[in-house]
Amino acid sequence: MSSTAAASTAAAGAIPKGALGTRAISAFSGTAGRVMKIALLSFSNALAAWAAYVLADRQDWIPLAVLAAVTVAIDVVYLGPRRSLPAKFMIPAGLFMIAFQVVPIVYTVDVAFTNYSIGHIASKAAAIEQIKVTSLQPPANGEQYTMGVARSGGRLVLILQDQTTHKNFVGDGSGLKPLPPGSVKTNALGVVSAQGYTLLKGADLFSLDKTLSTFAVPTTGDKAIRPLTISSAVEMTPTLRYDRKRDAFVRITDGKLFHDDGKGEFVAGNEALEPGWKTTVGFQNFSSILHDPLVRGPFLKIFAWTIVFATSVVFLSFFTGLLLAIALDKRGLRFQRTYRSLILIPWAMPGFISLMIWAGLLNDDFGVVNRMFHLNVPWLFDANWAKVSCVLVSFWLTVPYFFLVSMGALQSIPAELTEAARVDGGSPPQIFRRVTLPLVLVATSPLLIASFAFNFNNFNNIYLLTGGGPTQSGQPIAGSTDILISYTYKLALATGKGQDYGLASAVSIIIFFIVATISAVSFSRTKALENLN
Amino acid sequence: MSALAAAVERVRSRERARAPRPNLTIKDTWWRHLVGIVAVLVSLFPVWFTVSAAFNRDNSISGTSFWPAHPTTQNFTQILTNTVPDPASTSYVESHFLRWFANTLLIAVITAVLTVLLGALTAYAFSRFRFKGRRIGMTFLLLVQMFPQLLMVVAIYLIVLNVGGIFHFIGLNSYSGLVVVYLGGALGVNAWLLYGFFNTIPTELDESARVDGATPAQIFWGVVLPLALPVLIVVGLISFVSTLNEFVIASAILRTQGHLTLPLGMHQFIDQQYGQRWGPFAAGSLIAAVPAAVLFMSLQKWLVGGLTQGAVKG
Repeated sequence: MSSTAAASTAAAGAIPKGALGTRAISAFSGTAGRVMKIALLSFSNALAAWAAYVLADRQDWIPLAVLAAVTVAIDVVYLGPRRSLPAKFMIPAGLFMIAFQVVPIVYTVDVAFTNYSIGHIASKAAAIEQIKVTSLQPPANGEQYTMGVARSGGRLVLILQDQTTHKNFVGDGSGLKPLPPGSVKTNALGVVSAQGYTLLKGADLFSLDKTLSTFAVPTTGDKAIRPLTISSAVEMTPTLRYDRKRDAFVRITDGKLFHDDGKGEFVAGNEALEPGWKTTVGFQNFSSILHDPLVRGPFLKIFAWTIVFATSVVFLSFFTGLLLAIALDKRGLRFQRTYRSLILIPWAMPGFISLMIWAGLLNDDFGVVNRMFHLNVPWLFDANWAKVSCVLVSFWLTVPYFFLVSMGALQSIPAELTEAARVDGGSPPQIFRRVTLPLVLVATSPLLIASFAFNFNNFNNIYLLTGGGPTQSGQPIAGSTDILISYTYKLALATGKGQDYGLASAVSIIIFFIVATISAVSFSRTKALENLN
Repeated sequence: MSALAAAVERVRSRERARAPRPNLTIKDTWWRHLVGIVAVLVSLFPVWFTVSAAFNRDNSISGTSFWPAHPTTQNFTQILTNTVPDPASTSYVESHFLRWFANTLLIAVITAVLTVLLGALTAYAFSRFRFKGRRIGMTFLLLVQMFPQLLMVVAIYLIVLNVGGIFHFIGLNSYSGLVVVYLGGALGVNAWLLYGFFNTIPTELDESARVDGATPAQIFWGVVLPLALPVLIVVGLISFVSTLNEFVIASAILRTQGHLTLPLGMHQFIDQQYGQRWGPFAAGSLIAAVPAAVLFMSLQKWLVGGLTQGAVKG
């Protein structure tokens, strides 16, 4: 570490005094800097004032209090006493870190202990209301209504005409009110006009499809009128009744009791009512990773593959990079610079582009690789070959990095050492094994660990090449080449079976502990912590 | 590549012809060139076929050959003007290449510049001041940066969704939202990297500036930052490139076609469509690779020093 630091200090010294960059930066140290400071401070206060206005308008008092406290603290630090000097330098970065690094960490931990997922999004109270609405069923003799949809004072209302009595009503979420006879005109297609209301038609109406499907106008008892189509409604009776005392739903037909299972659902035997609600479930997400065979199976497989992937990429790349560096690190070798520049190309290209290009080249139907070499390898469509492809492509992307690093490490080895070994009669392989390699490893082992940690979470290399696929039979989420991070991504954000935020957050935390352990080892080796003093 | 191979072959035969030479040296150079040529061929293989496909008239990947059959710039025109024909209909495939490109550059440049600036401020405070809570602050920094933002994409999505519901300028589909999120995630590791470098700048320089009457702010801008320029460039470049490549957070925050960054847009463009859109995709890839490639090649020298200090670029 120290030798490389010295090298970069030397590089710093190599910058000519008065170079453009230097002068540009120095310009901030004078009056220009002070003007900028005042401008930035004014801007932040103006922004805060505007944000405060918006928050006050929405009556979000807690965020408003936080905002006020932060703004005052910033002003005090920048206009206040010398004592707050370090804070002046740390506040700008600190704010971003707290907002978008610390808060998300806390939130992730919070979610990991809940059942937050599709079907468990809202609060319990909202879930109870939702279950009541979805339990409504049209009885054989329920009142039929011709329906129109209108807006009244920004709120959605239903204009209803009883099909047998021809009485007119207007209904919303709070109940049913009668309208004078003759004020509503209907035909076979629905309500044509309603006095005092503008009916919604066409696209406006169709866009409300979702809203209408959960819309209910309560009538007598637990009954409610619900839209059947966009032009008709029917009075429905509930099939479930909520018993507040027992905190349970009772099925009206057979009296079966659905009780709160403490995990965010009302259940009776194997039956559960939908939707559930978001609630704390303790260590359930973590224990399901350990015990639930449906979760544990894919998790352990993915975990093992993640380790294999990261390890093989790092070691293959490192030894190849080192070999290249040894081969090309020869004074006076012709085309040395050409080789070097061309070998660095995979590294200089943005990774996402290389990955998608490789995905095309390895395509087994019409990919270039199979055609050029007259192969018939299912590079991306067979579980095992796809893994090989992931490692090979990541290897292709990573070799230049280790080539550069090894080149630097080799050049920092004093020539006297290898010279002395040669004088003592060491053969070139012996010198390499006993002198060069150990010295290179000392310089590069922290980088090997860092690279391992990086590849452990190398989402792009998997997702952009194989998408985690090919899919495995009987496994809706985890594909054959998914590593932990891409698996987590799918758990959380993939549509369909995914969107289990709680489980995804739990896996995130496990990944964190794995990477943190690796990093801790790395830091204890590099003695980075000594820098603390 | 055959031209280069031929050139190397010429050199080798010339060397062989130049007798007498010690046997060891001939043997030595022989394998070095072989390794070099193989490495170059492997490195350039996908690049060459991308170039070839970009100039090929055939849109399909199966039409790609070593030399483009009927060289044309049609693919470039199509991808740049969003007029890639859609075989399934008579219209064009939805794409916004230049928009994506501009979005990506804008986001990456702003993120890189601010990351360097804010990271340097923090690193300077930790490196030059001794204050209460400094040790705790640094340990905190070290711990927090081990938890990559990638792992909290759900939490970040929900935060941006909710905060953005009130303040649209950092909400979903906003570039400023994405940039502030990136800033939060990148500062820990970069501040740490810069801190290590700042420690190697002798404090005597600060001292002499202070004696001359410079304020801490003047020392920061006038003394420390100019000396740290090489490492600032490295951190900026790494930040630029990792922002350029970032997929997960961007996919959670940017949701509509016109707002995407290049990785998202190009992925949507080519996913499952290698049969039909390969030509325009290859052309777009070549254009998209230019900024990063130019930066890397021109700043190569400084990168090596920064890399050995722990910066990782995949």
